[in-house]
Amino acid sequence: MFHFDVITQNWPLFWAGLQVTLFYSAISISAGLVIGLVVGLIQLTGSRTLTIIGRVYVEIFRNIPLLVILLWIYYAFPIFAGLSITKFWAGFAGLSLYAGAFYAEILRAGVQSIDRGQTDASTALGMTYGQRMRRVILPQAFRRMIPPLAGQSIIQIKNTTLMSMITVPDLLYQASYVSSFTYRPMEVYTMVGAMFLVLLVPLTLLSRRLEKVSERVK
Amino acid sequence: MSVHPNPGPAAGPLLKVEALRLKFGTREVLKGVDLTVRKGEVVVLIGASGSGKTSLLRCVNLLNLPSHGKITIGGEAIYSANPAARDGNGVPLATVNRIRAQTGMVFQQFNLFPHMTALENVMEGPVTVKKANRDATRREALDLLAQMGLADHVGKYPRQLSGGQQQRVAIARAMAMHPQVMLFDEPTSALDPELVGEVMKAMLDLARSGMTMLIVTHELGFAFEIADRVIFLDEGQIVEDGPPRDVLLRPTHPRLKSFVGRFHETADLLRPFLEGS
Ligand SMILES: Nc1ncnc2c1ncn2[C@@H]1O[C@H](COP(=O)(O)OP(=O)(O)OP(=O)(O)O)[C@@H](O)[C@H]1O
Ligand SMILES: [Mg+2]
Repeated sequence: MFHFDVITQNWPLFWAGLQVTLFYSAISISAGLVIGLVVGLIQLTGSRTLTIIGRVYVEIFRNIPLLVILLWIYYAFPIFAGLSITKFWAGFAGLSLYAGAFYAEILRAGVQSIDRGQTDASTALGMTYGQRMRRVILPQAFRRMIPPLAGQSIIQIKNTTLMSMITVPDLLYQASYVSSFTYRPMEVYTMVGAMFLVLLVPLTLLSRRLEKVSERVK
Repeated sequence: MSVHPNPGPAAGPLLKVEALRLKFGTREVLKGVDLTVRKGEVVVLIGASGSGKTSLLRCVNLLNLPSHGKITIGGEAIYSANPAARDGNGVPLATVNRIRAQTGMVFQQFNLFPHMTALENVMEGPVTVKKANRDATRREALDLLAQMGLADHVGKYPRQLSGGQQQRVAIARAMAMHPQVMLFDEPTSALDPELVGEVMKAMLDLARSGMTMLIVTHELGFAFEIADRVIFLDEGQIVEDGPPRDVLLRPTHPRLKSFVGRFHETADLLRPFLEGS
């Protein structure tokens, strides 16, 4: 028997959790995009040092599981650094740095997919590196990057659930809490899954639509 | 048979290339090229595939950085490789970008900006690089496009234009920067045969207007018509340099002889007419 009242009676907790999930999704996607833009671009300047710095960052955060990153930032980093860190900052930093690494790769691939002739033509007009990027390369690259960026952002929203492991009160954390005193894991976790579906299916459909549009503009 | 009235020997050198060398890795593709182009002169560069024509053109606007030599445009040294300098060549980036804007380049593959209309493509250089006034630039761009026979296509995107139309937009885009010299790298090679003529005509008009031009082409008939001088490049070196009738009709170098062979079959028939003109 599915007891809906388990959900309705504890709805304020689910609602609070959902808000935390959405909040962290929004800020970590935004910060991740900024990091990705910077890290992606410094790898394209042609400077060896900057490229290596970018690569090291990307490989570290792409190859360590996000859960390990979050636990490390929250529990290990304070010991190394000799300072304390709130769960807000640990969750925010972990998610953003992780997202930034993937966004940087998407950006780099997007920019590198643009024909060399575009760089030649804009350089021949006398454009600086910044002008070339801003006026010619990035506007074309962004169109191609929309589908992978949307896909990565959807993954990012799902990944926020890992913050429950460092006790950030997101949707999953609140659900575990409700489950711990109602002893109704079936209702509770089914609800969590349903909420993510309602949230993400429209986004997935939207990203597929964008993919078609970006194919058309090419 | 020169297209434009008289460049005249009095006109000073506009473009001067001295002892130019270019290396890709350990491979040297330009092995000491000397070249002078006077103001208003049209010079055609021919040579076998891989002989270094594109590389030479790309050195003139520093898309390729030479490993040795000196390039001067309008009396200003734009590149002077100094082996003593720590980086091996010493041109400040700011100078490079300013100088590049003095040469206009037209590419084989057009390389128009696909996210901009024809008009926006032509306006992009002056507005972004020279910070020119938008309205004045727009008027001039419309004018240039009209000269190229594209008055009806200014609002179209490159993908909506034929190859010939795209290449003419590319010529207008380069001209909008008021370059001192125009560089063309096989501008008709990527075109369907029936579209080649319209681009050649646009280039002939440009030459007649007194534009200084350096053109790479495999169209020897076109070279004969447009060039004041033809240069034959072989394995990174200039082996022949002279008026088209000498280089194309009376080649001395054995490689050049075989290179222009296919042209000769028709040229032989025409020789009496060509020489009599
Ligand atoms: N970026 C590069 N890196 C390495 N080698 C290059 C590069 N560009 C050109 N080359 C080599 O330099 C040589 C000269 O090339 P270039 O493109 O200047 O010849 P080309 O005369 O223009 O030939 P084509 O008629 O085929 O266009 C070729 O052997 C080519 O393989
Ligand atoms: Mg070439």
